[in-house]
Amino acid sequence: MSTHEPDIHPASPHEPIEITLARLLRIGSFIAAVLIAAGIGTMLLGKEAAATRLITAGLLALLATPIMRVIAAGLIFIREKDWRFACFCLVVICSLAAGIYLGQTHG
Amino acid sequence: MLVQTLEIFLIAITAGVFGSMLGLGGGIIIVPVLTLLFNVPMQTAVAASTVSIIATSTGAAVAFLQDRLTNTRVAIWLEMGTSTGALSGALIAGYLEQRFLYILFGLLLAYSGYNMFKTRKNELPEGVLPDRLSQKLQLQGSYTDRQLGKKIDYQVTGTIPGLIVMYFSGIAAGLLGIGAGIFKVPAMDQIMRIPFKASTATSNFMIGVTAASGAVVYFARGDVKPMIAGPVVLGVLLGAILGAILMVRLKSSTIRKLFIPIIIYTAFEMIYRGLK
Repeated sequence: MSTHEPDIHPASPHEPIEITLARLLRIGSFIAAVLIAAGIGTMLLGKEAAATRLITAGLLALLATPIMRVIAAGLIFIREKDWRFACFCLVVICSLAAGIYLGQTHG
Repeated sequence: MLVQTLEIFLIAITAGVFGSMLGLGGGIIIVPVLTLLFNVPMQTAVAASTVSIIATSTGAAVAFLQDRLTNTRVAIWLEMGTSTGALSGALIAGYLEQRFLYILFGLLLAYSGYNMFKTRKNELPEGVLPDRLSQKLQLQGSYTDRQLGKKIDYQVTGTIPGLIVMYFSGIAAGLLGIGAGIFKVPAMDQIMRIPFKASTATSNFMIGVTAASGAVVYFARGDVKPMIAGPVVLGVLLGAILGAILMVRLKSSTIRKLFIPIIIYTAFEMIYRGLK
């Protein structure tokens, strides 16, 4: 039955969600890589304080990427009026937020 | 200092290659290497490893998403299980006997390792009938397999059991700080009957999200040391990109064979930790 379907998911006027998310992840990892590489370069030049700041900025960019990814997926589902999956994203975002909050207060 | 940074960087590349191919976080390489070879304190090593899980996930996801190997709908459905599980794990930590959990999860892994060994020759799952929920949520997927040179259409089953297993894998991650991908891949492979390559790619996509919430906490506590985590993350990121390019060209059965020794090793290590 599945072999005759032209496309798995119904046609949408927008680009597929995979392409949008891939672009987001590529931008995030590129920014992180550049900042960390610059930081390591600066460290080799002996400027430790500046190096630490650059690497930390890169790590934070990396950390934000998957969180942005869930939020972006949620927004895409809202745009496509796929309310069920938009709710699933909301559940994920809420438990992540609760986890971060608990981890910081109890840690 | 320079030599050490370079060594950490090279080992991190290796961890990134394997982690991205197998859908794992790579913590089983990073943590022992940092603590045993470089005398890094455990807390710093675990924090660096958690941040590097995000690097594995993000670096590899780009290639996997473009080949449509990642099933985003399955990923988001299952992330509900992993994220609420991790939260429950953090809440019940301290009320449960950790030894018992190590043994329990160790046995579970040994069992799925055995199942994986039995099906080691299967390239693709056959005769999978989607359950009603899977049809309703449109979880089925399709990707172009570069190794087989054809488009693979597949159905997904075990939608609810898969979610339940993910919830427990989330608990394991929240409580014991392990199991980034080692529980997710067998659950998608054996319960949901997703093709192995799509299972590891989807696991890879999911592990970044769970790791991110842990990493934020480590960051706030000051456990993330830039001089250690920086070279680790850069290496893992590069390795993950390479690993993903390599993985899409490998047979599913080859990747499965690489996965089996790792799952068996982890099972024994966990049982040992529970018993000692």
